[in-house]
Amino acid sequence: MQARINWAFAEVCDRAESVDELQVAFMHEIRGLGFTHAACASHVDPLRPPAEAVMMVDYPLAWLQRFSDKNYAKRDPVYWAARRQTLPFQWSDRVFRAGLASDQVRILDEAAEVGLTDGITIPIHAPDALPASCSLVIGPDGVDPLNAQKATWYGVYAHECARRLHLAGVPPKPELSPRERQCVQLLGQGKDDGAMAIILGLSEHTVHNIVRRAMNRYGVASRVQAFVRALKDGQIRLEDVAS
Amino acid sequence: MIHIVTAENRRHYHHALMEMHRQRKQVFIDQLKWRLDESAGIEIDAYDCPEAIYLIEAAAPRAPVTGSARLLPTDRPHLLGDHFRFLCDSAPPAGADVWEATRFCPAPDTAPGQPRHDLLGRMIAAIMETALIFGIERVTFVASAGLTPLAAKAGWDAQPLGGARRVGRDRLTAFVAAIDQRGLKRVRELNDIKTPVTRFFGGELTAAA
Repeated sequence: MQARINWAFAEVCDRAESVDELQVAFMHEIRGLGFTHAACASHVDPLRPPAEAVMMVDYPLAWLQRFSDKNYAKRDPVYWAARRQTLPFQWSDRVFRAGLASDQVRILDEAAEVGLTDGITIPIHAPDALPASCSLVIGPDGVDPLNAQKATWYGVYAHECARRLHLAGVPPKPELSPRERQCVQLLGQGKDDGAMAIILGLSEHTVHNIVRRAMNRYGVASRVQAFVRALKDGQIRLEDVAS
Repeated sequence: MIHIVTAENRRHYHHALMEMHRQRKQVFIDQLKWRLDESAGIEIDAYDCPEAIYLIEAAAPRAPVTGSARLLPTDRPHLLGDHFRFLCDSAPPAGADVWEATRFCPAPDTAPGQPRHDLLGRMIAAIMETALIFGIERVTFVASAGLTPLAAKAGWDAQPLGGARRVGRDRLTAFVAAIDQRGLKRVRELNDIKTPVTRFFGGELTAAA
């Protein structure tokens, strides 16, 4: 039976001390599997990525330039599909192509012109990471299906290691106290101080102060911002507030 | 023609193999509702490995795939031994001279009736030709209720390994078929096959094509 996990690659990733080092190892493996290019990256402007973005990309520079100039990160159908599903998909798949807007088809056509004709994209979802995916480009000679299957694991693993390296350099995220989390969650459910006070059996004044403390932890000026940050950090889950 | 794809020459068949896995997803998962893993629009399982031998029908290595089947050596993990033992009255045949045929997959646009029967006939001839090349003496397979009478009467000497058992919505029977020249001759006659159906392109495919 096929080993799905390449422990040697996992070890190299685990030991990597920089994203550059990780990228070299990742690209080496991916090319060894028969892919021509790869982009294991957050869904952001590739030439102006925010600090927390993962960017392991070896696409032709001309394409990255175009992608950046035209702000394709907002409309790229590959990103678009990756945000809505968890299963890997192939760009030539009819199911993926169906229902794309004409400007999105054009992005795929333009990518094909620079050699990014067909590929496999592995969606990557983590509550506290930017939306991301790992795209592996298939050249004219195709790719061995067994390698395509292996590569999905490589992409996810490399992204996770890159993220960990990023997090190591970032100051720890503020943590809300249980009471603060409770209040911010109620805030997200649309409750005001009065309603929160009744629900929690506290005074309105106390509730107001608890929310204020949560805002201070995040250094934000509004209650909505505090809620959004708590949600983004994974301190509150979307399913806790949406019912 | 039916291409014999092995670890040795599979690098020439990336497109055909990918298409085969895509068709397997359409046929087994989408149409027949088998509970199999899928990834990136293809069906590929733990038994798909470099040691498997694939029979892929296509006019040329890059031409559309019209049907496929998978042959697994039985001296390593295989489906009959791992999942379908209960279909066999005694230990399923296994060993260096036994293969298991699985995943017979007509292209999703194959018309039902005669075209499918013809494809099955060609595929059985291909299994026998390939087995003879590799010195394989017996081939096991599991047939659904629909496939059982066709596979049993294709001309080869196929014997049930046990009674039919209900599995999900289907009735499955395990068979073992003897591989020999006489059987191949009968399969060819019954299916009106005049010449060998298989082709094996090795390392020289690029130069030959």
